[in-house]
Amino acid sequence: MSIEETTREGTGLSRKGLDDGTVGLLGAVVIGVSCVAPAYTLTAALGPTVAEVGVNLPAIFLVGFIPMLLVALGYRELNSAMPDSGTTFTWATRAFGPWVGWMGGWGLIAATVIVLSNLAAVAVDFFYLMLAQVLDNPGIADLTLNLPVNIATTLVFIALACYVSYRGMETTKAVQYVLVTFQVVVLAWFAIAAFVHVANGTAFDATPISAEWFNPFAVGSFSAFAAGVSLSIFIYWGWDVTLTMNEETRNPEKTPGRAGALTVVVIVVIYLTVALATLSFAGVGEGELGAGNPDNQESIFAALAGPVMGPFAILMSIAVLSSSAASLQSTFVSPARTLLAMGHYKALPKGYGRISPQHKSPSYATIAAAIAAAGFYVFTRLVSENALWDTITALGMMICFYYGITALACVWYFRAQAFSSARNVLFRFLAPLLGGVILLVMFFKTANDSMDPAYGSGSELFGVGMVFILGIGVILLGAVLMLIWWRINPAFFRQEVIVQGSAPRP
Amino acid sequence: MRYIVGYTADERGHDAVCLAVALARRQGASLDLVLVTPQHSPYAGIHQRGKGFESLLTDQLQEWMDQGLALVPDDVPARGVIVRAESNAEGLIRAAEDNEASLIVIGASSRGLANRFSIGNVARSLLHASPVPVALAPKSYRRTDPVTRMTCAVGNRAGADDVVSVAVASAQRRGLPLRLVSLVALDAGHSDPEGMEDAANRRLAEAASALAAGGRVSVETAHGSSIEEAIEALAWDEGEVLLVGSSRLAQHMRIFLGSTANKILRTLTIPMVVVPRTYSTPGTTTGPGSHTTEADA
Repeated sequence: MSIEETTREGTGLSRKGLDDGTVGLLGAVVIGVSCVAPAYTLTAALGPTVAEVGVNLPAIFLVGFIPMLLVALGYRELNSAMPDSGTTFTWATRAFGPWVGWMGGWGLIAATVIVLSNLAAVAVDFFYLMLAQVLDNPGIADLTLNLPVNIATTLVFIALACYVSYRGMETTKAVQYVLVTFQVVVLAWFAIAAFVHVANGTAFDATPISAEWFNPFAVGSFSAFAAGVSLSIFIYWGWDVTLTMNEETRNPEKTPGRAGALTVVVIVVIYLTVALATLSFAGVGEGELGAGNPDNQESIFAALAGPVMGPFAILMSIAVLSSSAASLQSTFVSPARTLLAMGHYKALPKGYGRISPQHKSPSYATIAAAIAAAGFYVFTRLVSENALWDTITALGMMICFYYGITALACVWYFRAQAFSSARNVLFRFLAPLLGGVILLVMFFKTANDSMDPAYGSGSELFGVGMVFILGIGVILLGAVLMLIWWRINPAFFRQEVIVQGSAPRP
Repeated sequence: MRYIVGYTADERGHDAVCLAVALARRQGASLDLVLVTPQHSPYAGIHQRGKGFESLLTDQLQEWMDQGLALVPDDVPARGVIVRAESNAEGLIRAAEDNEASLIVIGASSRGLANRFSIGNVARSLLHASPVPVALAPKSYRRTDPVTRMTCAVGNRAGADDVVSVAVASAQRRGLPLRLVSLVALDAGHSDPEGMEDAANRRLAEAASALAAGGRVSVETAHGSSIEEAIEALAWDEGEVLLVGSSRLAQHMRIFLGSTANKILRTLTIPMVVVPRTYSTPGTTTGPGSHTTEADA
């Protein structure tokens, strides 16, 4: 008896031809844009960001990319040196030991679980909005405001996405091209229609574009700046996938870098165009359609698509719905894989390391992620007046937390090699150090500010801001769970599984 | 002779291994335990790239494969094969084609609580596309002794002769008694003219004797108000295997499970082999003398 592994990926054995397995530049850009999911991201993040920085939104969108880029460079270095299912968890454990590693993993899981619940909620909003538009009955759109209906539908969406992910079903190339093209076309349509309204004098609150909007130093306070940057980390989240694509591309030397650059140009152009269109059409006031109106913050396109696009607003509903539904399904993979790795390395109970014999997917971990997302959503929806807004702000904070740890893990892990070449100085030391420090500063600043009950949507619990409860509360919960697990099974914490270390001197 | 075993590290995979062993014994067939692992599309839109997950998965697959091979007794040669494919069915078919296997063995049970043979997803898609016969192990099949008798169920529809010739060849090779069961009475419906049944039975008997001169062939007619009833009314040996042909709707050399075969599948608790239409063509000319290599079921 022998075991023979037959791999048919990119070898002469493949019957489907090489073309199917590899990705060219255009394909890589499509993948990058799809991971960023601009239609969903904009509708979820535009409002909360305007609330923080007002008309300086374009400046923040531009500046927010810098820490993302710096951290992504470090992420890429770690990914090529230590490819692992646990990513942040494993890398931070290797660099800083089990305690920091565990918390880094927890941060990643928390961030993805929070975004899962937000994605599902946005999908539900646009699901009812679309039904209302199809049936020409505006009353249906208000169903999403009905708490029991909203929670029940959201849970159904989470369960469906969990099932699809558990079964290992994936979006195909054709579907992805259609989804991405559709999103880009609809967002362009929205922007053009908004500018036409402005030109015709039919805009809600026509606001002339000024150069000042692009000046990040014009943002009122450092608090607003920090909040804006941590939100814009969220809007670029997923972009880094283009950098870590190697074997999948036809030209691993050049494609990932070019795709990363091209993707970010595409994304920035989309974001700036839509941001400028929104600001000049609606202004930042708190009027009915104003981007500063708290009622519009949750989901800006739900409020603006109708007035801007007229009868074609349904296209925006479909774009956001399809973009968030696709992201919902694919985002499940991230927490599931990290939970799986943590189970595998004994940082969590063994069950989390289970792989489904039938579907070869992380079975237990996927379901655990779904339950966590559902629980998080129900909690937030019940205690917060403006759940989507608060989850997005908490999410930005959480991404800063685990990306910051990841970036510093890169610096520390490669410390022996940092100055061995000009390339290493840049990619393994300077870029991740700067990125990590920026993100952690943003994290602490936002955490501190968010204690104020007026922060974010203004929801509070026991006199403390909701965002703080969601963000820091989740991190503390992780710390408690970590201590409990350490009491139950200290193997991981005694470094019996993963040993702290560093990259060897070259 | 090589059989592909669709192995999964669960009860269903265990069923498949047992049936494959039972079918392989006395035949000198060797087994390929095939584990299909999903081929991840770069277009899945996933933030986290999969290299790390793949290595955990590979370790797990190796462990499962060791467990699977341990289920195979020493007298049956077996090896493990890991195939990447988009679906389990696709992976098994490709493994069968690449290794020129003559049979695919799978556990057919789904997690459904109702019937032993309520068919799983993999089985369903495999039955729609396999170019080689597919053996379906019922739920909790644990018998590994060689097969004791073969039964071939046929109607009077096109393709009946093909499955009969496969059944005859395979019973002969194993030296097993063969029972031909006529479903003609059921095929024709209730308002069936009397003479048709006899004529069909005669035809079956003729076919059988022409094909298997000297073989132990018996002919029975299934009666009942429904196919389920008729199948249950027949006496079944514990070590028996049923052969049925695939639907007339199937493309040439592809299996498509007809409604009758589907009903049998849901009623029966013994293993069943579904033979693609026109498999081992020209079926009727495959005499007893000319040893078939294609019809290895």
